Amino acid sequence: MEKAVKALFSIMPLLFGLGFIAPLIAQSMARLDWPAPFGLSQIAFGLAIGGIWGLYANIKGRWV
Amino acid sequence: MSEAALIDAAPLGRSADAPALPLAPLGPDGLDRYTRRSLRQQEIEIARRFHGGTMWPYAVCALGGFAIWLSFFPLAIMGQLNLPLAFVVSCFLATAGYATSHEAMHSNIGRPGEPGRWLNEATGFVSTIPIVFPFSMARLVHLEHHYHCNHPEKDPDYTDEAPNAWAAIWKTWYNRQPRVDGTIRRYKRCLEELGTPASARALKETLALQLIFMATLFSMAWTGHAIEAAAIWWLPRHFALTYIRFYLSWAPHHPREGRTGRYENTYIFKSRLGHFMSMCMETHLIHHLYPGIPNHRTKEAYFALKPILAQRGVDVSAM
Repeated sequence: MEKAVKALFSIMPLLFGLGFIAPLIAQSMARLDWPAPFGLSQIAFGLAIGGIWGLYANIKGRWV
Repeated sequence: MSEAALIDAAPLGRSADAPALPLAPLGPDGLDRYTRRSLRQQEIEIARRFHGGTMWPYAVCALGGFAIWLSFFPLAIMGQLNLPLAFVVSCFLATAGYATSHEAMHSNIGRPGEPGRWLNEATGFVSTIPIVFPFSMARLVHLEHHYHCNHPEKDPDYTDEAPNAWAAIWKTWYNRQPRVDGTIRRYKRCLEELGTPASARALKETLALQLIFMATLFSMAWTGHAIEAAAIWWLPRHFALTYIRFYLSWAPHHPREGRTGRYENTYIFKSRLGHFMSMCMETHLIHHLYPGIPNHRTKEAYFALKPILAQRGVDVSAM
């Protein structure tokens, strides 16, 4: 159990990017009526940004 | 020169205007141990007057504030919430929650064995949930901060040190980054090193609360309420942590390096935002000297203790 939780926390930035940042970007764009670029849906765009940003934070250990 | 002074000075063959010979070796503060003891006795006598008092408002604010904040979640999901207003209120409640939990950390609302103990624990428990900082961890690391104030290795809050106010604000954010050895990682390490049943429990509760936080954000986000989750928990938590760490950790203790003595580890300062908005931290020294004095009475206690503190070498020029 403890190992599973530690494993989960080791990839938490990536999970946070996909699990929260992605839908936050998508819903913010929808609220502002901004279309996603490259013909993507808003959630696909959010997942791309959130996933890349989360992966970056996971590798670098910082969000910026 | 008075007759008595002349008589006193005569046996020593010294002028009565000459400085008195110290009765005991002087310490680094320029005071001999008899003077220090006398000052300490006076200090304790004065400080005693400010201990205790009416503490139930802390509990009412904490429990009421938590209930209000919790109600935001169903209201947000039902679309019945003024989100900008809820964001501002959430920022305030998350920040102010630390002040109420802080009293509970020092058992100022109810000591062990007292009838009000449960209220103390309940106040502490709910107060820091919005900042995802379980009370069990908060209490242990805060007491370690008191035991080892400004020690570079042993003070869990030492990571907040920064050369100036803007750097300190930036550092509060930097210390929250995933793999920076900042606040939460240092706190976890501190609890692991303590190695007590209480610290093991605190670590488990920290993991549990972090998982609840993430699960809430994720589930709200994927059911179409990401903006609401950000406005009532995610962003207020970041705002509160920055505010708390700046005003409760950096401002009263800066500069920390080498300042570990009882009268030098905390400063009296004048806040640009005033006493209330700085969470009474202008007179945080009083709290470090006497943690049993409630936060709202430290200013009053400071003015009563000011002459003694000045004699102990405390810089009292700020107020």
